[in-house]
Amino acid sequence: MMSDITSIPGDRPSAAPIKIFGFAAIFLALAILPFVWDNRFYISLITQIMIYGLLAMSLDVLLGYTGLLSFMHNAYLGIGAYMVGLFLIHVSPTSLWLACLVGVIFTGAVALPVGWVQVRTGGLAFALLTLAFGMMFHTIVWKWYSVTGGDDGLMGVPSPDIQLFRWTVGNTGDPTHIYLLTLVVVAICFVLTRRIIRSPFGAVLEAIRENEERAAFVGINVRRYKLYGWMLACILAGIAGALFILYKGYIGPTTMSAFAGAGVLMMVLLGGMGSLWGPLIGAGIFIYIQDYITTMTEHWEIYLGLVVILLVLFMPTGFVGMGSYLKRMRRN
Amino acid sequence: MTGIATAVDIALNSLVLGGVFLIVAIGLNIIYGLSRVMNLAHGSLFAIGAYTGYTLVASGLNFFVALLITPIIAGFVGLILERMIIAPMRKRSMIYTLILTYGLMFFLDGMIKQTWGNEPRFIELPIFMGETLSILGTHYPVFRLVTLAITAVVMIALMLFLNKTRLGIILRAASTIPEMVSCLGFNMNYVHIGAFVLGSALAGVAGIIAGPLTTIDPLMGHEMLISSFVVIVIGGLGSLRGAVYAAILIGVVQTLAEFFITDLAMVIVYMMMAVILAFRPLGLLGEGKFE
Repeated sequence: MMSDITSIPGDRPSAAPIKIFGFAAIFLALAILPFVWDNRFYISLITQIMIYGLLAMSLDVLLGYTGLLSFMHNAYLGIGAYMVGLFLIHVSPTSLWLACLVGVIFTGAVALPVGWVQVRTGGLAFALLTLAFGMMFHTIVWKWYSVTGGDDGLMGVPSPDIQLFRWTVGNTGDPTHIYLLTLVVVAICFVLTRRIIRSPFGAVLEAIRENEERAAFVGINVRRYKLYGWMLACILAGIAGALFILYKGYIGPTTMSAFAGAGVLMMVLLGGMGSLWGPLIGAGIFIYIQDYITTMTEHWEIYLGLVVILLVLFMPTGFVGMGSYLKRMRRN
Repeated sequence: MTGIATAVDIALNSLVLGGVFLIVAIGLNIIYGLSRVMNLAHGSLFAIGAYTGYTLVASGLNFFVALLITPIIAGFVGLILERMIIAPMRKRSMIYTLILTYGLMFFLDGMIKQTWGNEPRFIELPIFMGETLSILGTHYPVFRLVTLAITAVVMIALMLFLNKTRLGIILRAASTIPEMVSCLGFNMNYVHIGAFVLGSALAGVAGIIAGPLTTIDPLMGHEMLISSFVVIVIGGLGSLRGAVYAAILIGVVQTLAEFFITDLAMVIVYMMMAVILAFRPLGLLGEGKFE
């Protein structure tokens, strides 16, 4: 079914020291950045890129590794964000970690029954169902005015202090502090997800992607592992949602629309499926271009659609695929 | 209004709504059944049908003439899309065609907004269709009855075409065993083109008859796309009979839900779909063709 997706480049068993070094270097460079480059706009843009990068990475777990397509993964970012926002507004405006925990758990609790229904069907119906359920969540958020604020969105979300073991290290309302918080959380999620994906569990997911029937014959409970993959992706999306609401202090129903969902899909395509870091780069390219184009035209939809079509037709492996293609060229 | 009148109202509304769902969903189902492409831009073709109808009627054409021209234009758009974008993707995996048609959907929606703008539009109806007819105590708009009649005519014509004509029989054979049809010397390329044009034309017809029922706006395609998915998924992919039952079922449920709780009507429909799928993963009359 998914035979024309490239396999993961690089060596599998253990990360080479150079990769660990590279990762640490990028992390440190990004951590120092706000102190040497005092540009509020770009710091804020990079925060947004990291949050969407986490979302795109979580979709990659589903699309690139398990071979399941989710059209509206942003719905789960939205659910997490709304829940964190509602908790901060109505329950406790100061307890950051508790709010995030509640938001992520709630996202998982919503994703579980949805996933349970979805994995019972095949690949195509799974994709269609993600669209239908995503639209459903969008409708609920849009129309349930008394709780979600409807069209206006959730406004007036307080920005709590960031506390670590009783020390207050910052406030989420400060662009630099939320930037650093996002960086740390995204880095932890990246390392953990990479670890999970490279474990036997990840190998099972890839087996399902490559050949579902054979995986079943080997004795893998395909439905159950698909559900695990789905839950992992949705919980990561929920974490991205918690960061999103802390970063923006606001969320509206358009964040959960089908249009935004296509954007996330495009980030994964741009970056390349099945690599985890590809989607992070894809998110960077996408958000930068979007920021640029929306200032020039109001018909952003046409360009989004066109770029998706061209990507699928001519560059289905994305940025990562291009890299390994060049490597192969050099070797020959 | 008496109870019976309300009941008649609801029943007729359900049939009208279900009829529109059915025409769109059957189009989607035919394309999928014959060329194994799930066309996510189908809702946009529906919207193009509605807008084309609006333009034709606004330029002074009779509604029924527009009704005949619209599917031809929609079919032509379908032909161009199939040749330029879908055909090169036929050998690739299902996920790519899904993403591709998803991109196509946004592209077409953007083009619609570019051409016709964001404001809602209304199709002007001939005078006699604006009147109401008294049925069992309720005053029912003539237009809705005409819609119902058109739906019936389209469905009967489609059934006759698929069951009685030579071409229809080839198409049905191609949906079951494409390789065999190919071996018998029929060019499968033409079958794929035919399926896409036919499906697009059906979406166009649905667009123009749905136009006066609701307002025409750029987002109408999205809602219709989702509704027709729900119809196909509940009825079973590839099953025309299942689609008929499912369309009527969705029509009834959505009309009832709109009557009682208005805003969150679609949520009830999705819930019902989830429950049906939990117990029958292949849909009510599914043939096990989910791939």
